[in-house]
Amino acid sequence: MIDLMGKKNYYFALSILIFIIGIVGLIVNGVEMDIQFQGGTIMQIEMPDDNFDTELAADIVRNAIGKIATVNKSSTFNAENESEKIHLMVLNIASDDTLTEDERTQVIDALRKEFNIAEDASVSVNSVEPFIGKEFRINAIKAIVISSILIVIYVWLRFRSMHGLSAGVFAVVALIHDIFVMFIAYVIFRIPLNDSFVAAMLTIIGYSINDTIVIYDRIRENSKLMHKTPIRELVNKSVLQSLTRSINTSITTLIAVLTLFVFSVVYNIQSIREFTMPLVVGLISGVYSTLFIASPLYMLWQERNIKKRAAARKPAKA
Amino acid sequence: MKGNNGLKIFLVFAFIAVMTYICFAGSLFGIVKIPGVNDIVPGIDINGGIDAMLYAVTEDGSKPTQEQLDAAKTIIGKRLDKVGILDRNLSTDVNAGRIVVQIPWAPGETDYNPDKTLAMIGKTALLTFQEVDTDKVDENGNYLPTDRIVLKGTNVVNAVAAQNPQTKGMEVLLELDAEGRQAFSEATARLIGQPIAIFMDDQFISAPVVQAHITDGIAVITLGNRNTEEAIAEAKDLADTIRSGSLPFKLEAKHVNAISPLLGKGALDVTIRAFIVAFLLICLFMIVYYRLPGLIASISLFTLAILTLNFVSWMGITLTLPGLAGIVLSVGMGVDANVIIFERIKEELRAGKTLKAAVDLGFRRAFAAIVDGNVTTLIVAVILYIFGTGAMISFAYTLFIGVVISFFTAITLTRTMLFAVTDLSIARKPWLYGVKGVQS
Repeated sequence: MIDLMGKKNYYFALSILIFIIGIVGLIVNGVEMDIQFQGGTIMQIEMPDDNFDTELAADIVRNAIGKIATVNKSSTFNAENESEKIHLMVLNIASDDTLTEDERTQVIDALRKEFNIAEDASVSVNSVEPFIGKEFRINAIKAIVISSILIVIYVWLRFRSMHGLSAGVFAVVALIHDIFVMFIAYVIFRIPLNDSFVAAMLTIIGYSINDTIVIYDRIRENSKLMHKTPIRELVNKSVLQSLTRSINTSITTLIAVLTLFVFSVVYNIQSIREFTMPLVVGLISGVYSTLFIASPLYMLWQERNIKKRAAARKPAKA
Repeated sequence: MKGNNGLKIFLVFAFIAVMTYICFAGSLFGIVKIPGVNDIVPGIDINGGIDAMLYAVTEDGSKPTQEQLDAAKTIIGKRLDKVGILDRNLSTDVNAGRIVVQIPWAPGETDYNPDKTLAMIGKTALLTFQEVDTDKVDENGNYLPTDRIVLKGTNVVNAVAAQNPQTKGMEVLLELDAEGRQAFSEATARLIGQPIAIFMDDQFISAPVVQAHITDGIAVITLGNRNTEEAIAEAKDLADTIRSGSLPFKLEAKHVNAISPLLGKGALDVTIRAFIVAFLLICLFMIVYYRLPGLIASISLFTLAILTLNFVSWMGITLTLPGLAGIVLSVGMGVDANVIIFERIKEELRAGKTLKAAVDLGFRRAFAAIVDGNVTTLIVAVILYIFGTGAMISFAYTLFIGVVISFFTAITLTRTMLFAVTDLSIARKPWLYGVKGVQS
């Protein structure tokens, strides 16, 4: 039998390494927030080609309304004509300077004079005042905290029969591991936090715990069948037995999310890309944490308990 | 026994065929109209449109009351009517002091200008009571404004819809301030038997005829002797409109998400392609790995996708891009239950159980783990629904529906098909279940 549990220190080391990279990334990059969470204005204006001067555009905006805009080029998939892309000019205005409707109209009128913007050019606007951003941010935190608490309660109820609390606690440790790894993905790849961050987080919170439940379920079943077996062997055996199903359930879900991710990258669909990339990371982390974090931790804990009990018994005998 | 299985399989496939037909045709064989995938309401992020939050900006910074917000909502509705935007969704949130406006982009609207629309609906309502010339009417027979103003909206202290205790008909009671009382007394003395028309901005609202000289500043607009639902709604609408003229605030869009239809269409196209590819890849994986049961799981998975789309359509849920991603995700997760069951069946087969017993045990022993897995996902879907905003609510819906339906497809449907098939002698080879020769 392969001794998966024997290499537990390597697994812990890998996770610690990822966390260190994450913390360094956090210090270097900081957390980026979408305007949805901090306020600001983003305008996307359809351009005939990508041959325009972004610095000139920024100057025009400053002259028109006296506010500083960061101007970038972007492009996206054109459903009507696949051989051509839709070219966009993206204006980004910081949170304390959110534009009003009038200012936005002025900006477009001023840009029209200088650039070749079609009469019926499509314009997308996303504008959020900072106080609304704060409200959304608080809601997001509430959603993550409340669902985590509910999941913990559920796990605790389900595992009362199986040294409940410790199993539940380690399932939650694995969960926090996954959330943290996902968060690191956001920081390292500089994905701004918005409500798709919340949805991705909650999805993983709900999903990743399942894997852990499946393995613990198997440990529970095996511990009834072979209570003479040492705990290390029992956990190792249970993990090996559940390995295929843990990996296969994640593979099917991963196929779904990865396909979405690949398509969104190929066709440059930002909203889907930002939603699925962290999901991919979270799913992989979910399998990993179940097999290599939650299971060995549980094993170590039980071994420690057994030793303690043995130690407590000895003096009584002597 | 065999005949029974044949019937079960027939029913399962008939069910799948009917659901698939409904999904793509939007009817039951052309006889009865049943909404299908084409009737799903696309979200603003797909079809383009405006999603905005209008905040009441008062001079003293106080929050508007529910009544004031209702009145403001009525104005917005009227203004949108005027420019022909009939497809929209308006709701008030009194705690936050805001009105949420959602306007999907209508195909054929060449002048897509969200900022002009928002500026138009957000400006302070100018409500006036005007004298009119009875011979000056527009093509609809409504009076044209004359600018001979009797009352301004700000003169109206309150306007409420009420039922006349005697006639039982609906009426709107107006209470005027001191200035209004005087002006109204003067005008009603002069205009008995003639209409005074109410305009919002330049839009004609109503033209009650002056019945008597009103000196006490309490005016009653009678809407006939009806108290039907229609009349009640009409009275409330009129009262809201009149009240809107005295609103002490203007509305400013402090949260705007205006998406051009061009961008959303591309995103939808790509997501649907990804959906189909993901579905085929998952089926391929299941069939290669689990063989016969994998094929059956793929049929169940197809049913899951069809049923989820149907339910989204039947429940009138707006489908956004994250909502569609939720369906793709639930297809990926929906097959998990089958993986758990099939792994269990393989194990039982290796342990030397007969096929029949292994399949039976596989379903029974895997059940608890499947329930656990799905309950946690349902918990987060509900939380997302409560705390989510905009496009994410659609994700919460599709995830929830997908998980609930997967219970039915991955367990009931898969089991029915698998049980029926295992009775056939040709379907009993262990190879078909991915197990190399049954050990004893």
